[in-house]
Amino acid sequence: MAEQAIWSGTISFSLVAIPVQLVKAVEPGRVSFRMLHNKDYSPLQRRMFCPEEEKIVPADEIIRGYEIGPDKYIVITDEELESVSPERSRTIEIVEFIDMKEVDPIYYAHPYYLVPSKGGEKAYQLLVEAMARTNKAGLAKFVLGEREYLVAVKSMEGALALITLHYSEEVLPDKDISPKEKESEAEVKSRIKKNIKNMMADFNPEKYANERRKKIMNILKKKAKEKAPVEASQVEEEEVEGPADLVSALKESMRKVKKNR
Amino acid sequence: MSRTFVEIAGKRLSLSNLEKDLYPSYGFTKAHILEYYRRIAPFILPHLKDRALTLKRYPDGVEKEYFFEKRCPSHRPDWVKTAELRHNEGEKMKVCLINNLEMLIWVENLASLELHVPLARTGSPETPDSMVFDLDPGDGADILDCAKVAFILRDLLSKLKLMSYVKTSGKKGLHVYVPLNRKETTFEDTKKFSKVVAEVMQKNYPDLVTAKMAKEYRKAKVFINWAQNDSKKTMVCVYSLRAREKPIVSCPLEWKELERLAGQGAPEKLQVLHSEAVSRAEKQGDLFRALLVKKQKFPYL
Repeated sequence: MAEQAIWSGTISFSLVAIPVQLVKAVEPGRVSFRMLHNKDYSPLQRRMFCPEEEKIVPADEIIRGYEIGPDKYIVITDEELESVSPERSRTIEIVEFIDMKEVDPIYYAHPYYLVPSKGGEKAYQLLVEAMARTNKAGLAKFVLGEREYLVAVKSMEGALALITLHYSEEVLPDKDISPKEKESEAEVKSRIKKNIKNMMADFNPEKYANERRKKIMNILKKKAKEKAPVEASQVEEEEVEGPADLVSALKESMRKVKKNR
Repeated sequence: MSRTFVEIAGKRLSLSNLEKDLYPSYGFTKAHILEYYRRIAPFILPHLKDRALTLKRYPDGVEKEYFFEKRCPSHRPDWVKTAELRHNEGEKMKVCLINNLEMLIWVENLASLELHVPLARTGSPETPDSMVFDLDPGDGADILDCAKVAFILRDLLSKLKLMSYVKTSGKKGLHVYVPLNRKETTFEDTKKFSKVVAEVMQKNYPDLVTAKMAKEYRKAKVFINWAQNDSKKTMVCVYSLRAREKPIVSCPLEWKELERLAGQGAPEKLQVLHSEAVSRAEKQGDLFRALLVKKQKFPYL
């Protein structure tokens, strides 16, 4: 597998730790294009544009706002976001084993392969086999990029696949994946099997809340209580548009209309 | 396909599929539709005259697919009157002009149940002869809310010495028109004026009115669509049928009548059926006649 590693570390459960690398399992078949300027073929860049000021906004003037209603936002800073972002993980720690039959494909977000790093081949092979035999998958939490993912590690055609899962609620039955027989050392195998048995659990995705999301929502809730949200300016500005005489005549007329109603 | 030949004003028309039920859940055939338009013709024709018609055709009835047609269909009898318009950037386009009964019957034979026309006539496509406030209820609002807005709008406009007239849209809303009929008027004027009015309405009745197009602002409110005041836009013509379950008409109402009907608190009272539209028009005359003749000038523009 010549695919470049996205991440490297160890996959571990109980006392077993296997060095692995994470590689892409799918390559989207999309044909992508660059946008070019038709005059000189230079590649174009995206810029953030402010429709109010009609100008391009530099990066240092761009902040994040969470929309809570039309033109109402709670501002959130990079520091606040960072404070809830999980630490980059060096291990994929399997916390429990589940029956893959219980995981509906609807939870599957994105597939990867785990490939053994140097020295991990043998243990890797055993884990693959034990998982295939029992048709179990390991559930783990795993940080990739900024986000913490709930992932399922399962054996697939003699290798380990890591599938990021959606945080969600419904569970529906899933199809088997065909196990593959290969020689292995009975002793280690039975130990792994036992460990898997001990850590068996039902797949219960509600148990794994998206921690980062929860924390961000908490910050937003707190901020919403502490101070009023910022508001986009357009409502006010639209108001004063139009000929001054007309606007004031309308306001005066409206006062009379309201009085008579 | 069954055909029937008729002669109107010396013109021979071939009418097809007269027995086809185009409002199947109500039971209203193409023959009924032609009969409706024949009887309403004296009232609707002056409003269609010399306006670039947009056909909205329902060849298989109101429950099936429809299509808009701005170009006058090319397979037309030679007596069909057309006008040449400049379409986007110079491209020319022939449009139908519904200036007489035979033309009206001809387009209805094409199952153009709804007749949509611009606010200007083809001779002066940049001069609107009226300004319109298209009152469109968002989710959770209804035609009774539109009526509330319409009354405030009427009073506000009358303080500015502008008379206004109202019709049902035939769907969920109301259309308030202000006749202008002055050759100096531009769409820029009507758009600017209607926008300021809509924004003042929104400012004063924020729980009832929005002047913004975006769906999220429209929830449980009446959207005053001022942007209809544009040379490229069309409105459903007064007295046109609408393609709904029942053959309901976009029908003008006297303000007093609207007050009485809205006072009954039932949205369906504000829907005028084909037969009622005809009997109202024959009894009261054209309540929208002012739109054709009344000259009004914008103050403060």
